[in-house]
Amino acid sequence: MERIEGPLEAAARAVLSDARELQGVFLRTLYWTARGRREPGEVARQCYEVGYRSAFFLSVTMGFIGMILVFQSGLQLLRVVPDLSQLGATFLELLVRDLGPTISAMMLATRVGAGIAAEIGSMVVTEQVDALRMCGVDPVDHLVVPRFMASMVMTVVLVMFSGLVSFAAGGATAWFVFDVQPLTYANFSLLDRGDLITGLAKCVAYGAAIPIVSGWCGLTTRGGSEGVGSATTSAVVNSSLAVIMLDLVISGVGFVVFV
Amino acid sequence: MIEVTNVWKRFAAPVLRDVTLRVPQGCLYGLIGPGAAGKSVLLKCLAGLLRPERGSVRVFGEAIESLDEVSLQAVRNRVGMLFQNNALFDHLTVAENIAFPLRRRGVTDEAEIAERVADRLRAVSLPGFEQRLPGGLSGGQKKRVGVARATVTRADVVLYDEPAAGLDPVTSQKIFDLLRREQQEAGATVVMVSSDIDRLLTVTDRVGMMLDGALIFDGTTAEAQGSLHPVVKQFVHGEVDGPL
Repeated sequence: MERIEGPLEAAARAVLSDARELQGVFLRTLYWTARGRREPGEVARQCYEVGYRSAFFLSVTMGFIGMILVFQSGLQLLRVVPDLSQLGATFLELLVRDLGPTISAMMLATRVGAGIAAEIGSMVVTEQVDALRMCGVDPVDHLVVPRFMASMVMTVVLVMFSGLVSFAAGGATAWFVFDVQPLTYANFSLLDRGDLITGLAKCVAYGAAIPIVSGWCGLTTRGGSEGVGSATTSAVVNSSLAVIMLDLVISGVGFVVFV
Repeated sequence: MIEVTNVWKRFAAPVLRDVTLRVPQGCLYGLIGPGAAGKSVLLKCLAGLLRPERGSVRVFGEAIESLDEVSLQAVRNRVGMLFQNNALFDHLTVAENIAFPLRRRGVTDEAEIAERVADRLRAVSLPGFEQRLPGGLSGGQKKRVGVARATVTRADVVLYDEPAAGLDPVTSQKIFDLLRREQQEAGATVVMVSSDIDRLLTVTDRVGMMLDGALIFDGTTAEAQGSLHPVVKQFVHGEVDGPL
């Protein structure tokens, strides 16, 4: 007699199958990064797509977040102590260690992740990915790896640049709203090696995770334009989830190692 | 050359049911049948793009359903394929699309690549289209570029999924004649799916008919044309009345 699979069992099976596929894309990405042959200019073109075209969006977002956080932190601090001399220092530590990489990566997941999944998903439904395989090309090598390499580099650059914008916007808010002088605000005393290493590790990890997760969503697209839509949504949701999970893990490791 | 044995494949529902088929070397095999009969799925199984749940697909003597992607690539290097939607790479020009399989198979001599691209474009009556992008081509032109790309490597096995879909009758006949000529010159084994039965049967050596995922007929072209099987007879002769 045929056993009927329950909904929980079916869901668990689907999650395991997805995890296996994602692991496959991850391992093939690493393999082709080491062994693959890049077309001239392909990684540079992806750096432009990922980096240059995200710079304005990310800077504006991070600028506003810097202003809001400094304003709210200033208000809360004034309720407890009438001293805002450590406002810049605490904000900078938080920005470098966590907020800068994580919020920037969430923004990149929406812009870059959605773009990667939509582009690869469209190629899947128009059989271009099958055509690549018939031409002797692993789609992961041709489509995911250049984006992976570009994203790793450009995420670090973008986080540093947008973090600077955020810190400057926060400094302007502190000056105009709370009369904290720029020299008082620009206080690096709380920043240590652990903060810098943790922040950098997050940038690299997020930069690697977004194209892999989004590429996997694109490569597993089914059906027509509706499938591309779902792949795009999945890419944003799963990339954001990956960022949050990596944040937890790296923060935990950073706490154990550096504190 | 190609042997399919008891192949089963399902997505939401079964799409291939116990298909057994043998295509001899150098044969031009036509695969016919109504929509959603499983023809394109079978073609993708032959290319190793889909893996059957059960049964065996042997190409060049290799059971490709059990090969990993790297080993499969060695088989695919000897197979050319034209896709139903042409599957031209949007960001590459016509010449780059046709040259793509050559470059990926290690041909580095630019003069040889240019010569073979020009030869293919002449064969499909598109000389002078080298620098066009696929977005600027008509459906028929895209199809012809797809044919040029599928044949540029002079593969031992070529799979065509609807090579004449969307073409006018004259161009359609030209394409079928071209594919037949190419196949005879290269001695390639060809499996061709087409809904243009009248023209398809002018070029095939053998024909298989699929219905609801099963192969219900396999024989020579003459046998297909003279078949008394009610479904085959109705489909081949395009009759309105019948079991379909």
